Amino acid sequence: MYAIVDCDNAYVSCERVFRPDLNGKPCVVLSNNDGCIVARSNEAKALGIKTGTPYYQLKERFPNGEVTVFSSNYELYGDITDRVMSLVRKAAPTFYRYSIDEGFCDLSGMEHLDLKKWGEDLSAFIWKATRMPVSIGIAKTKTLAKMASHYAKHYKGFNHCCLIGTDEQRVKALEGYDIDEVWGIGRRYAARLQATGIKTAYDFASKAESWVRATLNNVVAIRTWKELNGEDVIPMEEMSKKKSICTSRSFPGMITDLLNLRTHISNYAARCAEKLRKQQSVAQTVCVFVDTNHFREDLPQYWNMGEERLLTPSNNTQQIVQTANRCTERIFRQGYYYKRAGVIVMGIVPDNGIQTNFVDYDAERHEKMKKLDEALDKINREYGTETIVLASQQYTKKDGKGKADVFADAIRHDFKSPCYTTRWSDIPEAT
Amino acid sequence: MIRHCFVFLRIFASNLIDMEENRPIDGAEIITLDEIRHLKLPYFEGLAAGYPSPAGDYQHEKLDLNDKFVPHPEASYFVRVSGESMIGLGIYDGDICLVDRLEEISDGNVVVAFVNGGLTVKTLDTSTRDKGYLRLMPHNPDFKPIIIDAYDQFILQGKVTSIHRDTRKY
Repeated sequence: MYAIVDCDNAYVSCERVFRPDLNGKPCVVLSNNDGCIVARSNEAKALGIKTGTPYYQLKERFPNGEVTVFSSNYELYGDITDRVMSLVRKAAPTFYRYSIDEGFCDLSGMEHLDLKKWGEDLSAFIWKATRMPVSIGIAKTKTLAKMASHYAKHYKGFNHCCLIGTDEQRVKALEGYDIDEVWGIGRRYAARLQATGIKTAYDFASKAESWVRATLNNVVAIRTWKELNGEDVIPMEEMSKKKSICTSRSFPGMITDLLNLRTHISNYAARCAEKLRKQQSVAQTVCVFVDTNHFREDLPQYWNMGEERLLTPSNNTQQIVQTANRCTERIFRQGYYYKRAGVIVMGIVPDNGIQTNFVDYDAERHEKMKKLDEALDKINREYGTETIVLASQQYTKKDGKGKADVFADAIRHDFKSPCYTTRWSDIPEAT
Repeated sequence: MIRHCFVFLRIFASNLIDMEENRPIDGAEIITLDEIRHLKLPYFEGLAAGYPSPAGDYQHEKLDLNDKFVPHPEASYFVRVSGESMIGLGIYDGDICLVDRLEEISDGNVVVAFVNGGLTVKTLDTSTRDKGYLRLMPHNPDFKPIIIDAYDQFILQGKVTSIHRDTRKY
């Protein structure tokens, strides 16, 4: 059996940990740069507020602060969710974190326990320890567990934990589940299935395997079909090993010039390098993608990706940023309005087993770079992220005049909460 | 010498992961590299010196403040004290309290509570429960107890388990 533990409205719930007065009240979290809504409390959902709504529209609809608004504070969300996942890890023999707010447990060897009660107790314990509400789904396969957690989240009667144990329960769960909600079925495939008259997960699961193969011909979709039918086919390793790291964002406005685009990409690349060092690994390939705004059908569209292999795998900020910048220059085309870009580092291996390339490798330089990165990480850890950056990472100031000293001066986050648990200057005060 | 170090590392690490394959050995819990860094490995003197130190037999884990004061790291956080209401208990303005949400709270404990929009550090007094209210007791004659009845917003945030103060400025 597998369990998935999923934080309820994770970002909003993190904001409420030190603002218990907001429990039961509508609140939302905005995207980077205070652009649009990325997370909503249940009360905000009940008011009909949709994800993706621009902030200015929210302000028009609720001018008197009926809805509490937060700028995103990923430092806080990272710390609170780390605490939650750490507790889950201690509660089961095997644990794999799947994303910032969800993780899988393999419950093999625990079948003799009352797993429904195990889940209810774990959820109550996590709430007590961290003030994060979590929903737990338990089933024979990961796809069914994910479905169960959805039921646990949306129906109070489950007491935060839904167990799909018997075949009867499985069929009942599938029948009440829309096909486009199924984990592993993308939007495109869902639309294709709906066109053939499939509405629920049950409709899909009852089709013959040959039909699924003929209709979708996609490995992931076939695996999902098997998992819905109770066959455990998605390996755990697949969920945990980070073979690539991606840092990508939508821009606050649209970008037309290379210089500005390069600044953003430099920052994403630097972030990737930092993440690599944090997990003590190096990457073999750096990849950059740029994209225009698909919602603006009036504008010409462009999408491209450029990649470059590193001669010696690296996690050095300078090297990864420079490589990313070369990729950017290759794929940049003048005349488009860019909305989104990202950097992906791939071929990740532990940094103790670097295969050096004789042409490229300079041991002395490598050591120096390593020391520089260590110093960089230390300063940025102690004095706040982006205290020291490469010149190419410097954003233009909010008012457009000159360079911003820190990223914070280049973006809006007018409603940011303190980093209560990660900065001494921000810890809460009590009288 | 280097080989020796490596062998030692392997002995400890092999309990957790197969170094060559960098994958978990069957049955072992998967431990990320980040966690390995925080694992406490016994520290051996004399390895690099080539001649074993007689103290090696007495090697012992180093004392760690976290072990002593933070039994529930996931449930603990810091709060900075502002004001003089608790000076009778030796809690001064600017002190940093460690608050633990999992520690059981009983009458007389120092607690942090969210009261009507803000946090407060006080001693919990439930002896007046039968009369329909609780009291949060200051330890300073200049301050009055905070009376909490059904109309107050009152959310217990945890028990204060230790108090920290930098005395270098003294």
